[in-house]
Amino acid sequence: MSVRSDVAAPRTQARHAQARRAQARRAQTRRTRGRRQALIMLALGVIVFVGLFPFLFMLVTSFKTNQQYYESWWLPALPLHLENYSRAWAQIQPYFVTSVTVAAAAIVGTVVLCSVSAFVFARYRFFGRNVLFGLIAALLMVPGISSLIPMFVLMRDLGLLNTRAVLVIPHIVGGSVLGTLLMKTFVEQLPQELFDAARVDGAGGPRMFVSIMLPLSMPVLGTIALVTVIGVWNDFFWPLLTVTENHLRTISAGLQFFQTQNATEYGPLFAGYAIASIPLLVLFVFLSKYFLAGLQGGLPGVGGTK
Amino acid sequence: MGQGTLGGEKVRTMRAGRRRFPWYAYLALAPLFATLAVFAYYPAASGIWHSLYEWRPGFDSPFVGLDNYVTMFGDDLWWKSFRNLGFIFVFGVTIAWAIPLLAAELIISLDSKRAQFTFRTLLIAPMAFPGVVTVLLWAAMYEPNNGVINRVLRSMGLGVLAQNWVGDPAFALLSLLFIGFPFVAGLPFLVFLTTLQNVPTEVFEAAALDGCGRLRRLTAIDLPLMASQLKLLVFLATIGVLQYGFAAYLLTGGGPDNATQVPVLRMLGVAFQGSDWGYAAALSTTLFVMTILLSVVIVFVRRRDTADVRPL
Repeated sequence: MSVRSDVAAPRTQARHAQARRAQARRAQTRRTRGRRQALIMLALGVIVFVGLFPFLFMLVTSFKTNQQYYESWWLPALPLHLENYSRAWAQIQPYFVTSVTVAAAAIVGTVVLCSVSAFVFARYRFFGRNVLFGLIAALLMVPGISSLIPMFVLMRDLGLLNTRAVLVIPHIVGGSVLGTLLMKTFVEQLPQELFDAARVDGAGGPRMFVSIMLPLSMPVLGTIALVTVIGVWNDFFWPLLTVTENHLRTISAGLQFFQTQNATEYGPLFAGYAIASIPLLVLFVFLSKYFLAGLQGGLPGVGGTK
Repeated sequence: MGQGTLGGEKVRTMRAGRRRFPWYAYLALAPLFATLAVFAYYPAASGIWHSLYEWRPGFDSPFVGLDNYVTMFGDDLWWKSFRNLGFIFVFGVTIAWAIPLLAAELIISLDSKRAQFTFRTLLIAPMAFPGVVTVLLWAAMYEPNNGVINRVLRSMGLGVLAQNWVGDPAFALLSLLFIGFPFVAGLPFLVFLTTLQNVPTEVFEAAALDGCGRLRRLTAIDLPLMASQLKLLVFLATIGVLQYGFAAYLLTGGGPDNATQVPVLRMLGVAFQGSDWGYAAALSTTLFVMTILLSVVIVFVRRRDTADVRPL
């Protein structure tokens, strides 16, 4: 017994020492870890700053006169020249109106076309279903830029140049192709029981479409709408080439014209850029999940948005 | 009640609907196909068809066979634009991916999920700005006299380094490529980040236990795990680069001295300045065929990798 305790004493001592050492090591790793985390955040902070710098610069400069800009290109300067914004708005407002109108029309057209066709493709089986669907899917491979020349000639032949229709149509076409694909996948995943129950209750196809499919498809319809808005806002070559009347220019093409008009006055110029950025920024802030899904041409919540 | 039974039920109900001739299905699809026929299939076909003509819209267009394509093979500017495009592509998949990869690695090294989310959101925030605004802002920063870049260089006493960034053929293409620096706000970053976040933490812990350093982990674990996503990104970048043109149009217009000429700008120039519609159609058909070939490759690669490629 005594022998045993003799042996045990140093052993407990050793164990205590070990524990102390381990604790010290843990504290140290925690410290280095904290330092490493701070370094990582610093590195990320630098990348964030560099990435956002042009936009911060835009914001700061948009409140300045040229004189203030020449004195210091980076310090915010008082007084703030808010009139830069009203001057820019006066010029940009028609582009804004056109873009919003075009986006709204494109969304309506796209949603009508693609929801009906997606419902039919997902819930009905008929002769030629796969071939017809393949015909639509194949269009995804046709890059917009390579059909731009023949599309322009077609619009010219139809006498549609310099109208709002010419701006809307390509977005309806592109949107309904992508939309049909997205929605078909979505509608196929809806439980068949819902549709069976509706059929038992005597609902026909149109009734099921309106009362079951449309309400359940809101998330995917929202994504399609968002993709359309982003598309209209960023489309550049098409409005540039098909529209020459100033009030029919969309934001992207309009800004380019606006830039040539105000190239020498930084304040109003950057105020204009800032105004043009607001709608997409608002969508990004409030619908971040859908926004990212839209940029990736997919559905929200399927990854990428963790 | 497994998934298989549910699937079987679905098939059965669909088969039941087959007995009657489904005229309503065709009727419901008619508006979509009518729209696509006029504004998608017809233009695509018309572009290919008219590339064989001296296309003069509104007048009679004589058939010229493959003359437009012969012209194309002798068009130095067209091929030079592809050389630029190659440069843009290589830059785009190396330097322009290195920083996003670094950023993704840094983010997953953060302990706090909240910090991860905040930094991710801030890093991708530039995506929310219209492309035109980004390019025009960079154009203003490149401006030789009052632009921010030269002003910074001069204030640091490095005035010698100040350049006419966009106007000098030696720098124009690089200036164009550096738009959007540090390139984090984009699809590659999101793909890298998602892939790394989806790796089970046990894998990283096991690597750390084996004494695997950070660089070793990147080459031995992270990159191999990303292989299929990287492959997909490379193909998407290949297709995307063929459509490259809008930033070049805004910043340099293809100049100076065609230093930033790209196929899309050449095609638009031929059509809208040269009014040579047949030749422009031949150029656009060439771009179209190249895209289709690349897309077919993608479809095959994707099919082989379906087990690995997570949907985005």
